[in-house]
Amino acid sequence: MADVDMAQNSGTTAETDNDWVRVMSDDGYSFLVRRSVANASETMRDMLDTAGNYAEAIARTCPVSQRAVIVEKLLEYMSFKAYYEKAGPKEEVPVQEFMERIPPEIVLELLLAADYQNM
Amino acid sequence: MCSDSNRASNTHISLQKPPRRHGPDVSIEQTWRDLSNNIREIQNHNAPNLSFEENHRFAYNMVLHKQGEMLYKGVNQLVAENLDHLAATQVIPAYPSGSSDETVQGQEAEILLKALRNIWDDHTSNMERLGQILKYMDRVYAKAADVPVIWDAGLNLFLKHIIRPPIKDHLVAAILKQIQVERDGYVVNKSAIKGCVDVFITLEDANGLSVYKRDVEPAVLRESQTFYDLEGRQLLQTCDAPEYLRRAEARFESEDSRTHHYLSRNTAPALKQILQDKLLTPHLSTVISMETSGIDAMIDLNKTSDMARLYRLFIMVPAGLPCLKRSLKDSVRRRGEAINQASSGMESGGAENVKARATSGAQTLALALKWVQDVLDLKDLFDRIWRDAFSSDRELESNLNEAFENFINLNQRSSESIALFIDDHLKRGLKGKTDTEVDLVLDKTITVFRFITEKDVFERYYKGHLAKRLLQGRSVSDDAERGMLAKLKVECGYQFTQKLEGMFNDMRISEDTMKAYRTHLSKTVAPQIDISVTVMTSTFWPMAHSASPCTLPLELIQASKSFEQFYLSQHSGRRLTWQPSLGSADVRVAFKTKKHDLNVATFALVILLLFENLGPGDFLTYEEIKQATSIEDSDLQRQLQSLACAKYKVLKKHPAGREVDPTDSFSFNADFTAPLQKIKISTVSSKVESGEERKETQDRIDEERRHQTEASIVRVMKDRKHMTHNDLVNEVTRQLAVRFLPNPLNIKKRIENLIEREYLERCDDRKSYNYMVSVGDS
Repeated sequence: MADVDMAQNSGTTAETDNDWVRVMSDDGYSFLVRRSVANASETMRDMLDTAGNYAEAIARTCPVSQRAVIVEKLLEYMSFKAYYEKAGPKEEVPVQEFMERIPPEIVLELLLAADYQNM
Repeated sequence: MCSDSNRASNTHISLQKPPRRHGPDVSIEQTWRDLSNNIREIQNHNAPNLSFEENHRFAYNMVLHKQGEMLYKGVNQLVAENLDHLAATQVIPAYPSGSSDETVQGQEAEILLKALRNIWDDHTSNMERLGQILKYMDRVYAKAADVPVIWDAGLNLFLKHIIRPPIKDHLVAAILKQIQVERDGYVVNKSAIKGCVDVFITLEDANGLSVYKRDVEPAVLRESQTFYDLEGRQLLQTCDAPEYLRRAEARFESEDSRTHHYLSRNTAPALKQILQDKLLTPHLSTVISMETSGIDAMIDLNKTSDMARLYRLFIMVPAGLPCLKRSLKDSVRRRGEAINQASSGMESGGAENVKARATSGAQTLALALKWVQDVLDLKDLFDRIWRDAFSSDRELESNLNEAFENFINLNQRSSESIALFIDDHLKRGLKGKTDTEVDLVLDKTITVFRFITEKDVFERYYKGHLAKRLLQGRSVSDDAERGMLAKLKVECGYQFTQKLEGMFNDMRISEDTMKAYRTHLSKTVAPQIDISVTVMTSTFWPMAHSASPCTLPLELIQASKSFEQFYLSQHSGRRLTWQPSLGSADVRVAFKTKKHDLNVATFALVILLLFENLGPGDFLTYEEIKQATSIEDSDLQRQLQSLACAKYKVLKKHPAGREVDPTDSFSFNADFTAPLQKIKISTVSSKVESGEERKETQDRIDEERRHQTEASIVRVMKDRKHMTHNDLVNEVTRQLAVRFLPNPLNIKKRIENLIEREYLERCDDRKSYNYMVSVGDS
């Protein structure tokens, strides 16, 4: 049960509404990420939305019904997205590199999860 | 650290074998039962106790397993039920009780509006939450099935279940009620109305038309129309003009702020239009012409702010400015006619009473001056109003100018009066006034001068006055004279002032000539009397070409001959004609008590010299004097009057009286006494022309105009060679307009005259003319 900090990149711009939230895999792993990273998934964003104010938003915890390995990859992509979203048009986004880091065995599972997470 | 609320649990599968799912783990019916329970909980504001993930997954699973329609319809059903529930518990109890008390009605309306806003807020926050958990349905099912996303479906349901009769009618009535209450001058809860109106603006029907636009706005406008129709008529009965305008403007402001604060900004133009149609357009002329408080009264009482308001309101509507223009024009015309009346009314009385001519002359002069002063004051007044109240509106300026032009030209003596006014100021106006003040007055006079159409008449009078001022040395300041000349030059161009400048030139040259003459005299034998001569170029000066006859005494003849010789020796080929009628003389007269130095006109001197060698009791009859001097009757009478009937009675008239008759006789008044050593006996002059003189002037002007018209016709035809009658008349009119307003009939006469004299020939088409090249030209 290791807390993995996935948000080193965006950690430099800690704002008041950019607090830490917890993402849980269904096999019990727990990840701490910045809210801005969680917001890369629309489903997570709605889940944590204080206006909707569901139980998850109060607990600031998002359960994801996937294995840790999938959640980890999701969050890696979300960090990647959150980071490069602000990139200028001239900056090169290393999409290819990222793709190479996805093991083919989990691709299908990852795809379903991504669809569910609406990102 | 675990979240086992997930029903769709995955078995732990190794990385090498990804899991596959087949069908739902739980039955769809069960899923929907759970989800619909949760949705009801959400509608009861219990979302914090619910898991987002769980409900999201329910909806996700239903859509994923092709049950999107069931989900969609089910949610719609739940929302509709909830709305009906809200309507029944919150809106319907807030229906008005039907009380007749105004205050109660207002309060009830406010409560109803607030209730609607409450359930709207409730509904929208519910829909927001539902939208979040049903996002997958919106994304996948709604798109595929071509139905609106759940948020929009929620709006439609709100429209159908809440904004329906009779709820809608009650709501609209409540809004109207609140507006009415506020229009009656009470305070209403604006935020309550705004809350409700905002809902109406947000909701759109199938055609994309907002409910506000469809149901609320027309009702508001209808209501406003009747309200302001009545209001306008009531105000008209109870208020005077300034009050009416004040109220109207306040209405404009309040309606504007109404649309700003709780109605839509888009309603503002329509409301403004109603205000204009009901409060302004139909009542414009009534308000502006109100007997004791309309525009005239405002002008009289100098109510600048009221007039400024009137202007602001009037320019809003198309009929306003013309109405204002008409009223202003009327006002100027009426005031102008009063001024004209005042100056002409007295005069006609004076003209009948020919015997009191001396006094009436002074009186008419005073009237002429008063006329100009009044016109200037009036112009000042309207200029000030125009500047302060009418924002210097260009259209109004030309309108006012036109009005001034009209009444000024109605007065046939306007040119003469203005010339007199200027004369008066240049002659003695400088006393007690600084140069700048006089300059200011003259500047203003020029603005009035601008309105005169018959500028040539003015020129004629001005020239006469200028000549007298120059010759009699009565012009106080040379600078002022030249300043005035410069102003006229700017107004009417070089031609207009050419002759006037020539007169100034003559004066200067004459001075030089006199110096040379004096040097000449010091070398030769000087005649007995010292004379000073002004040589005037006959074309520049407005004097009669043939001198008025006068038999000069020997001494004077000698002196004038001496100068004549000197002058002609210097300038050959010139002819000098003496104009004794314009001269003056200094003479020392011995009376019984002491000697006095008299300054008299040359004619008066000639008359006085007749008495030089008479005994103390001797008489000369009028006839004798006339024979001896051969001065014309009119001049003679004036001179005798100045000597015998004016302030200083150097001669005695028998019988005594103010007027001189051909049967009178005169004797020298040796008993004459006066406190001053030097006495100036000015000739009694009729400064304002008498009827005959005026007719003569008019004849001369007519003649001059004939010449000018002919000259203009020839100029134009020489240039164009061939021209149609109408074009020619237009062109000539245009050219002459600077000096006077020619009558087309007169132009036609001139053309005919020119044809007779073979300058022009009529063409065969009978409509145009050819210029006949004269022998000299070819």
